[in-house]
Amino acid sequence: MISVSNLSKKIGDVQALDNLSFNAEDGQITGLLGPNGAGKTTCLRTIFGLLKADQGRATISNIDVAINPVGAKQQLGLFPDPFGIYERPTPREYIRYFAELSGLSRTAALKATNRVIGDLQLADIADRRCKGFSQGQRMKTALAQAIVHQPKNIVLDEPTRGLDVMSTRILRDMLRKLKAEGHCILFSSHVMQEVASLCDRVVVMTEGRVVAIGSPQQLCEQTNQSSLEEAFITLIGTGEGIAA
Amino acid sequence: MNNRFWSLLRKELMDAIRDKRSVIAGLYYAIFVPILMAVMMMVIIDKLTSPEDFKITINNSSAAADLVVYLDNQGIRHSSDKTETKAIELTIGASYAEQMRLAEPAEVILIADGSEENLQSAIRRTERALQRYSAEMASLRLIARGINPIIMNSLNVKMQDQATTESKGGQLIAMIILVILLSVFVSGMNLAIDTSAGERERNSLALLLSHPISLRQLVVSKVCAVSVFGMLGLVLVLIVSKFVYPMVPWQELGFNVDININFMMAALIAGAFVAVLAASMQLFVSFMAKSFKEAQTYITFVMFVPMILSYAVTFDFATDELRWAPVTGQLQALIDVMKGKEIPLLQLAVSCLSTLLISIALMLGMERLLKSEKIVFGL
Repeated sequence: MISVSNLSKKIGDVQALDNLSFNAEDGQITGLLGPNGAGKTTCLRTIFGLLKADQGRATISNIDVAINPVGAKQQLGLFPDPFGIYERPTPREYIRYFAELSGLSRTAALKATNRVIGDLQLADIADRRCKGFSQGQRMKTALAQAIVHQPKNIVLDEPTRGLDVMSTRILRDMLRKLKAEGHCILFSSHVMQEVASLCDRVVVMTEGRVVAIGSPQQLCEQTNQSSLEEAFITLIGTGEGIAA
Repeated sequence: MNNRFWSLLRKELMDAIRDKRSVIAGLYYAIFVPILMAVMMMVIIDKLTSPEDFKITINNSSAAADLVVYLDNQGIRHSSDKTETKAIELTIGASYAEQMRLAEPAEVILIADGSEENLQSAIRRTERALQRYSAEMASLRLIARGINPIIMNSLNVKMQDQATTESKGGQLIAMIILVILLSVFVSGMNLAIDTSAGERERNSLALLLSHPISLRQLVVSKVCAVSVFGMLGLVLVLIVSKFVYPMVPWQELGFNVDININFMMAALIAGAFVAVLAASMQLFVSFMAKSFKEAQTYITFVMFVPMILSYAVTFDFATDELRWAPVTGQLQALIDVMKGKEIPLLQLAVSCLSTLLISIALMLGMERLLKSEKIVFGL
């Protein structure tokens, strides 16, 4: 479970997070939905302890990130934006490296790497150096890195950007599978269809604040709209008059 | 805890070895600079010790048989074979014999290209020989007239050169050892940039920091990786030096440069401290830089620090004080080893300790930097 309570963070003159609170439960896919600049990435970076909140706290499986960063990160897998792929190692080396950094022993990391390569059908590119990989191949490598150590919590930052249909499908299937295994999945996005089809709960945020939380269905009912997109427009429009 | 450190280090080294730019940057210095130095030294020595005898063309030599014999005794021989003479011509004036007989200044013309570097010493020697001959003849004329030629000398200048062969060799030895020691700075330089500023530019720094590793593990592993590259450069430069420097005819200058096992061991031990310092300095400034390019600029400035300190040693400036300082302390100790002198151990120990302390301070500084959001995200 990932829990964020009363997070506030100022970056320069901008109030990037403004008393932000929400939970992402185990066995659920939670979507962080907001327009560009709403503070989604800032929020995720704070959960990872890369940014320090001015106020409030973030916990991962009940471990406070600010107090025990190493312990908290142990429970996390990150699919970042941008991917941060190294060009010179192969995906097999890359995945194994991060598995070791996440705390697996060398042999356990090797096993876990082989398993995730099988799961994500990476075998054909697993021993080629990452330089020159397509966006889809990079996505798969990054996703493998995020889940190789089977973390209880997985965070994905804009995971579907730039992906073709096939890659999006692989990603979606993987997330559903992880959800079924009881993982807590939190992802940020501004793609409505993605969020609508995947998420059990949606956290709608704008200007660093939560404006609504609920299932896509609930959000539609709450705003009397037929689609999530319309509901979203209504929700953030009522905030400070922002256009998406 | 330890496992993660090794994973980090292994990956850094593997990544570095596959990076052609880092490897070439590490190798080119270690291989080519000693060779370049040796060639330079050979040329310098060759110029300093030009061969004893040389041949010039003397026109109308029969008119001045005595002068020709005198020059021949001075090692300046006459030859009519143009292939073996230097481009120096001495023409004896047509009325030379007559002028000599009348005790008038007899005309001789020295023809040579004064801008020709290679002829400089030969021209000077010929000129000096001619002047000496002239003075000798003048003395004889004075004696013939019953005058003591001593009155021609109003000054009696005695030159006492205090340079010993060892001190003459000192600067060259210091330069050679400087070249060896600087390899630890040059060889790891590109890797230092790639693994810090480059890491951020590839967006992998944030991902790395999102993993359950401590900043200390991260910083120390990077410093180790860069140091290892620096040390590989040092090993390589020592091996190349071992083969290249014996080819230089040092004995003509009265000293010897012997890269023996003792010196190599001392260089590796002293170099290890300098390598850690070099790595820490380079990583520190590269982490502060916003981009790869900016890091390259900063790191060039970092190179100046040890260079300036070392030049101070090479040119014998504040030598005793600098024995206690990082880099220069190790440099001087190695010079002592090369010269077969006793090493002042206390100074060397203090210098190594201060090297280590500065490195540790820089590493702690890096940990602080990496806690800063500005540094991690390059804001």
